Amino acid sequence: MKRIILVGKPNSGKSLLFNQLTGLRQKVANFPGVTVELKSGRFDQYQLVDFPGAYSMSTLTRDEDIAVEKINQALLDQDTSLIICNLDATRLQSSLMFGMQMQALAHQYGKALVFALNMIDEVTRFGHQIDVAGLSRDLGAPVFALSAKTLDGIAEFKTAVIQLAAEADSSNLNTVALPPLDYSVQVKQSRLLATQYGMPSSVVLKKQNAIDAFMLNNVSGGIAFLLVMFLLFQSIFTFATPLMDAVENAIGVSASFITDLTGPGMLADFLNDALFGGLGSFLVFVPQIMVLTLIIGVLEDSGYLARAALICHRPLSYFGLSGRSFIPYLSAHACAIPAILAARTIESPRKRLITMLTVPLMSCSARLPVYALLVAVLIPDTRYLGGIVNLQGVAFFGLYLFGIVTALLVSLLLSRSAVTDNEKSDMPFILELPSYRFPHWKPLIHRVLSSAKQFIYRAGPVIFAVSLGIWLLGYFPTSAGGLEDSYLGVIGQWIEPIFEPLGLDWRYGVAILMSFLAREVFVGALGTLFGIDGADENIAGLAANIQADGLTFGAGMGILLFYVVALQCVATVATLKAETGSARLVGALVFGYGMLAYLLAMLCAQFL
Amino acid sequence: MMSLWDTAGGQTVTVTTLDAGLDQAVSSRLREMGLDNGLPVLCLRRGPFNGALVVAIADCVYSLEQKVASKIRVKPL
Repeated sequence: MKRIILVGKPNSGKSLLFNQLTGLRQKVANFPGVTVELKSGRFDQYQLVDFPGAYSMSTLTRDEDIAVEKINQALLDQDTSLIICNLDATRLQSSLMFGMQMQALAHQYGKALVFALNMIDEVTRFGHQIDVAGLSRDLGAPVFALSAKTLDGIAEFKTAVIQLAAEADSSNLNTVALPPLDYSVQVKQSRLLATQYGMPSSVVLKKQNAIDAFMLNNVSGGIAFLLVMFLLFQSIFTFATPLMDAVENAIGVSASFITDLTGPGMLADFLNDALFGGLGSFLVFVPQIMVLTLIIGVLEDSGYLARAALICHRPLSYFGLSGRSFIPYLSAHACAIPAILAARTIESPRKRLITMLTVPLMSCSARLPVYALLVAVLIPDTRYLGGIVNLQGVAFFGLYLFGIVTALLVSLLLSRSAVTDNEKSDMPFILELPSYRFPHWKPLIHRVLSSAKQFIYRAGPVIFAVSLGIWLLGYFPTSAGGLEDSYLGVIGQWIEPIFEPLGLDWRYGVAILMSFLAREVFVGALGTLFGIDGADENIAGLAANIQADGLTFGAGMGILLFYVVALQCVATVATLKAETGSARLVGALVFGYGMLAYLLAMLCAQFL
Repeated sequence: MMSLWDTAGGQTVTVTTLDAGLDQAVSSRLREMGLDNGLPVLCLRRGPFNGALVVAIADCVYSLEQKVASKIRVKPL
């Protein structure tokens, strides 16, 4: 299939344009060899590919290196028909800086290029007009004014793109290799064109600067930052609760409906204990993952995330990190894998390595089910200030904070060690602060739904297999003799000495061991174990079952801290190995975090 | 000579030179951003907690840490 590629600088409305052109019929793929998220979708008879944003063809960071390398590959590809270069009409100079470099490169490779002058609605709102015909003439390429937000000019643009791509396919453009480019010419030219056609910067930046006066103030900015972070963690509990209740009720109703149909017997036991008890108890936590993804998405799309990175730069630099480390750290609370990849935006290789190695200490969504279950077991559901502050929410916040503090301390240690000693190649902290914008809801909801889908698809099969395995081992040789006489019971007795110092019996040991595949398995495994135990066949009662079973506060807190620290995710380990290029380093990390986790759990069990 | 790091919030200055000690890739990015000889820069504020500097260059706002801002030579407008 012939291809059209979409390029542009970050924060220029490129993704929204992509959504409008493909109508959300998109799929996410990775570049072969390197994991860079690449969205593609169908546009007419073409495949439209959204390339990661880049500021310049001369690169500073690892993510820019990859983006530019892949753009070059796409330009060499015979199947690439046309390049759409997205420009932010309100910031013509910085957009053209990249756009004109791209144009020169497209010319060098003999590819057709069209400029999409996006966000034209904002230019009109400011009372400014851009002479599009003049700009097109001076650039020597077609330019279309449009707004991916209000859809102004989108229909005309679609028609023009199809026509331009068809023309490019049928013509033989000059493919003679031209000499390498001198970008300084583009730099000067883009400044001249921006002065001639663009908006005055004082108008563009007025609102942004007024909000920043509050958001970046030492006092109000600091308070706003802490408030945003606190609300983020509280909302995981508060907003998600009704949704979680709904999922839980739906699973409960389905379980009793289906087991009523099958009648008592082995099948009913399997459905109740393995399927609904194991897989079901993990599905309950999907709404929390969705809420977390939604809030991080809102922060990112609104432009606040860059401010948060700036606010954190100074404090993080004390620990050998960059302000940019904040973004991987925050997104690691959803999942460590994209966070490790997001560390590519960190300018300094040394700080990037430290960030990647400490990202797994952030509490990802896979830990959420474990935290939620044990917090419900150990902490009373007391509410203060009219229900806004929930004691369980505070405990959650504490666990997340413990992960963050541990990560900072490990960063400090690593930054002073020889492992990351390549200070000479350090790049400085340079960060663009984009405009504040209201997030566009459609792509945000799309992102939230796909986070839930990915979470279920990734962990679901593993949890089902583990639940099935545990159920089989726990049900046989005979279900009548009780769990302790089963195969699982026997295995459990063997490993019990390892978990004894942690104040835990063999059932927790089995669940912890199984969760080295993926952390979420812990809840599913315990659901199956307690289900087979027959204390209560209603999965809603798993927390009550554990409470009734007599898990001590110290041992419970020990499990929690164990899960904060231990690196128990096969996918994260694989990603770390690919990104750091060192199996030894990652192996040492898994071992180190494992030992620290065990030690913390033991101290909790002994002293709390 | 005064560097960009020495500017006060609200002050507009003109770039004179970029220190030779800066990495080639960094200098070229700074020039592309508009930190080039004779071009104006508005210092919006000192960053929170004395962190990175916040400056308006052409149509964008950037934050730059001391390590780089102190290597950009400027003079008052």
